[in-house]
Amino acid sequence: MTVIDTVTATAARAPVRLRLVTLDRLRSAALPIGFAAAVLLLWQVAVDIGGYPKVILPAPSDIASALAANFSEICRQAVPTTRDTLAGFCIAAVLGIGLASLLTVNRLLRDAIYPLVIVIQLVPKIAWTPLFIVWAGIGWPSRLTIATFIAFFPIFMAMLAGLESTDGSLVRLCRALTATPWRTFWLVRFPASMPYLFSGLKIGITLSVIGVVVAEFISSSEGLGFFILKSAALLQTDVILAAILVLCLVGLASFGLVHLGELAVRRWRGD
Amino acid sequence: MTAASDYVVIDRVAKTYNPGSRQQVDAVTATSFSVKAGEFVTLLGPSGCGKSTLLMMVAGLDTPSTGTINVAGQPMAAPRAETGIMFQDPTLLPWKSALENVLFPFRAMNRPVAPFEGRAAQLLDQVGLAGFHDHKPRQLSGGMRQRVAICRALVYEPDLLLMDEPFSALDAITRDEMNLVLMKMWHDHRRTALFVTHSIREAVFLSDRVLVMSPRPGRVVEDVAIPFDRPRTLEIGETAEFNRICAHLRNRISH
Repeated sequence: MTVIDTVTATAARAPVRLRLVTLDRLRSAALPIGFAAAVLLLWQVAVDIGGYPKVILPAPSDIASALAANFSEICRQAVPTTRDTLAGFCIAAVLGIGLASLLTVNRLLRDAIYPLVIVIQLVPKIAWTPLFIVWAGIGWPSRLTIATFIAFFPIFMAMLAGLESTDGSLVRLCRALTATPWRTFWLVRFPASMPYLFSGLKIGITLSVIGVVVAEFISSSEGLGFFILKSAALLQTDVILAAILVLCLVGLASFGLVHLGELAVRRWRGD
Repeated sequence: MTAASDYVVIDRVAKTYNPGSRQQVDAVTATSFSVKAGEFVTLLGPSGCGKSTLLMMVAGLDTPSTGTINVAGQPMAAPRAETGIMFQDPTLLPWKSALENVLFPFRAMNRPVAPFEGRAAQLLDQVGLAGFHDHKPRQLSGGMRQRVAICRALVYEPDLLLMDEPFSALDAITRDEMNLVLMKMWHDHRRTALFVTHSIREAVFLSDRVLVMSPRPGRVVEDVAIPFDRPRTLEIGETAEFNRICAHLRNRISH
């Protein structure tokens, strides 16, 4: 086989593989979208034929027109919800990573604090919400506090698990190489814990959204949670569902941000 | 009693874990030996005889219960930056390339890395990893990973090389290859070396001297000089003398 033969053979094969990859990607996107479309269609038909009252079960078309009619209002309400979610998450991430790092480096602090964190973690975090409102008022500070509080635990626990699961032989190697504990932490423990951290961050961002919406339910005059509750009082089921749809997009976008962060960290680590 | 050329001096060193408790383990009982500068010495013994414990104490990663260890005229208290070390597993950072792993000691010691990139690349070429510098550990075979670990142990030009059964997890064919690679690297870089293994043939092939250790509690029971000229090839393994020495060592281990 000559060089030219090989080159032609490779060139002929490449587009086929490329086409297969595109087809594969298309399939993985088309399947869920198609399925969702089928469900929506079935829903629409069922409501049209069954004639359920719109207040109980609005059709997808009703939700779409409710979204269109209230679009600017819903977007306006989505701003504080998104802002508090992201801010609460960021504070929780800094606190969670910081405390987990501190407890890994200092044995005494770990033994003193870790059991207490577990005890607090066992109480359903949502139960604290009214207390935070008493302490921080009904404005954004209490919503931020709740989001931080609820997102903190999974981030902290995941980071601590990641730092403690570091391969002992790598740590021993660092010791043999006369690395200081701080350098060992920065070169080995911290990068090794990244996969754990990001699984914690992904749970954290999801819980942060929940925390903010619950806080808006309880006491607030703005945000999607407040808007949903107000629409429920007016029995505007289609508007509620339109707001939930936007809330869904907010959650998805925040999750996407964490995912982007994961990709960036992987690049930094050199994966 | 110790000559000036003795680089590593182990003086009546013993190690007891959990002394006084029910789980008390006498890992090593008062044992003494020394390694001359530039010499390749192997500690040979059955599993659990305390040979790795001894090595870890020479590395400064463990402290003797009694007795003293001197390296380069200094009593050992903590790990020293002039010791190169290899463990049973390659202990590579999984997210770093082969080259980055070789350079890792400089990062750990907080020294500038850039001036040594050329040397690290050269070492990788010497162990037959040209073209694999940017590969991640998971993309390398077990033998290749240990080659990276050899380079990492040599890159900062330590005066003493400590190796704790570095090839015991490898298959027999790869192990022979690795012995040749190690032999070549040791020949080129000439360091005082202390090697731990439970493979008799490996010990004879690599060493200037083999120290046989008794089962636990371990101590050195025999000191055997290996007379073969260097550089050695795998063929010496078929000579009558090689096999005679192996038979003698085997005999000493089981008694």
